[in-house]
Amino acid sequence: MERRRGVERAELPLTALRDGESGIITSIKAGRGRGGGGRGWGFKKRLMDMGLTPGTRITVVRSAPFRGPLEVSVRGSRLALGRGMAERIFVEIKG
Amino acid sequence: MTERKLTIALAGNANVGKSVIFNQLTGLHQHIGNWPGKTVERAEGTLHFKGYTIDIIDLPGIYSLSTFSIEELVSREYIAVERPDLVINIVDASLLERNLFFTLQLMELETPMIMALNQMDMAKKKGIDIDAEKLEKILGIPVIPTVAVKGIGVFELLERAVETIEKGGKTKPTEVRYGEEVEERIIKIAEMVKGIQFKHTYPARYVAIKLLEGDEEIEREVNSIDPQIVFTAKKLATEIEEIHGHSCLTVVTSERYEIAGCIAREVQKLAPPIKPPIGERLHTLTTHKILGYPTMIIALLSMFYSIFTFGDYTSGLLSDFFYGWEPVFRSVLGAGIVGELIWGGVMEGFIAGVTIALPYIVPFYLILYVLEDSGYLSRIAFLMDTLMHKIGLHGKAFIPTMLAYGCNVPACLGCRIMETQRERLLAAFVVTMVPCAATTVVILGLVGAFVGFQWALALYVIDLLIIFLLGRVAFKALPGEPTALIMEMHDYRAPHLETIVKQTWFRLEEFIKVAFPLIIVGSLVIKLIEILNLLKPIANILSPVTVAWLGLPAVTGITLIFGVLRKELTLIMLAALLGTTDFTRVLTPVQMIVFALVTMLYIPCIATIAALAKEFGWKKALFITVFKIIFAIIVGGLTLRLLMLAKIW
Repeated sequence: MERRRGVERAELPLTALRDGESGIITSIKAGRGRGGGGRGWGFKKRLMDMGLTPGTRITVVRSAPFRGPLEVSVRGSRLALGRGMAERIFVEIKG
Repeated sequence: MTERKLTIALAGNANVGKSVIFNQLTGLHQHIGNWPGKTVERAEGTLHFKGYTIDIIDLPGIYSLSTFSIEELVSREYIAVERPDLVINIVDASLLERNLFFTLQLMELETPMIMALNQMDMAKKKGIDIDAEKLEKILGIPVIPTVAVKGIGVFELLERAVETIEKGGKTKPTEVRYGEEVEERIIKIAEMVKGIQFKHTYPARYVAIKLLEGDEEIEREVNSIDPQIVFTAKKLATEIEEIHGHSCLTVVTSERYEIAGCIAREVQKLAPPIKPPIGERLHTLTTHKILGYPTMIIALLSMFYSIFTFGDYTSGLLSDFFYGWEPVFRSVLGAGIVGELIWGGVMEGFIAGVTIALPYIVPFYLILYVLEDSGYLSRIAFLMDTLMHKIGLHGKAFIPTMLAYGCNVPACLGCRIMETQRERLLAAFVVTMVPCAATTVVILGLVGAFVGFQWALALYVIDLLIIFLLGRVAFKALPGEPTALIMEMHDYRAPHLETIVKQTWFRLEEFIKVAFPLIIVGSLVIKLIEILNLLKPIANILSPVTVAWLGLPAVTGITLIFGVLRKELTLIMLAALLGTTDFTRVLTPVQMIVFALVTMLYIPCIATIAALAKEFGWKKALFITVFKIIFAIIVGGLTLRLLMLAKIW
């Protein structure tokens, strides 16, 4: 379970960001229980292995048309993330 | 004195220039196969250096050593179980932080290792200057800067590798230390693990970390020896979870990235990039919302056009050349059955193979590798992701699908780029429904020429609809969930030609091994049937299907059998058996459409069946084949009845 300190802060799915905007990753909601070995768990792990860990800055560079994937920049690398995946990555925009 | 044997494994992320280094080291002494029991490619090569015979294993490009994918599992087991004398960790200097994340995991496996800090030139262009000596000191392993595409540092890398092994391989890398809460729990579990006998030679500390991460493989193995350890590890993991408010896996991964980031920041100096903006501009254009698509279409069309033009011309030349030898063969072999079998069976099969492989497959692979290595393929996958999602696949599957319009065989083999076995099978299923170059010959040569171009086009549209529909059905029917696209788009770069030529060469070898035996055997069997005068009886046996249900002349049964060898043979044989190339005199427009449609759908050719069997086993290959035959017959019959009802002609 995710535990939150103090007041809820605005958490947005990555897909809510416009091209060029960036945020700090707060959580990836793809898991179906820890170590359950479900596919969701595997993909969350894959994303983290590619550097998308909580607390990391992520920038949406552009999104492909027709609800296509997002191009993001994270830890200096350029990744394409399917939209379904991106919807489960939550970020916080710091003012 | 016999030469001493050494084994060195290359490990690293994808797109770091691993295959270039592999090629530089091993030249043509390579062997590409599969890992035992797995559909993961295993590239192995040998070289001789300072009196050693060195076996180089190129491990798959991965980002982690967990059990997320077969590639990761294969790599981990290889390093931990087979224990190579040395692991060379190849690192992209322009993406140090993420690459170090992988390095840290290799270090945790406590394997003797050195690092090749590759693509130093690209890093420099990006304004990243790395102090390799400092990195060497921090990590406790030798670090060698390289620019593999120019051959810079490769010799030194080899020298340092051998030197390290000679020193006993004990490079004792610095221990990776996590935050206090995690660290003390790792130590606690590691103490417990030290007490048990392990089948695999994983270090205790590594096992402890993986248990905290909840790694299934390790958990299962430890559980079978001492369930108490797993129980304790789970309890400790929950404690970490409570302290940090994230799952233990997240905490460990984050902290490991934190360490990687710290090291990266310490050794690299950042300056404004001096990279020419061409690559960036190209990236913007090729991923552009609007302009990206026409750019892609132009690129692909010119690719297909040049391949088909080249292929058509070369195929004709080769064909003329080989058939030029026919009289010589015939006169030597005589007119008997043996001569007929050898020329008409073996040689014709061989010629069929050669006239496809060299003119079409070679340029296909060359261009494909250029597109892949330069980075363009990942941009195409980015643009096509939405469309491919409709059939439960993601953007990468567009690549084999596109290939299939040329030839289904490399396309089936190309389905390996998909992450899971399920998606590989799904992609292969889709691929076999795509009309290849030979099918195009039949459609255009029959329907296009004698019924009308719009009808040929309609067949393609119908095929696309069928692909879409069956793809969707298969995607719903196959157990498992669709995978989302997670793909790196590395910076555009000039492809390394030598590596590309070698890769193409090994692919061609693979194609010959997979397809040739079956083409030749198939050709021989059909020749035998012909010699034994069994064609007519077989055509009669098939007539309930061909004549009664599909409304075609009985001889089409024979041509469809020949089409198994090569699809364009259906048309060639039809002309031969009907005794004319003016098909309007012997077939009605409806019959032509039905015939072309059935040819398009009815069976993957024999070489494709071989490719399917190689990738997925005979059971699945035969299932797809039988399914397609039945499906083609049903669709063909229905189309006939629909067209009769429509009374267009």
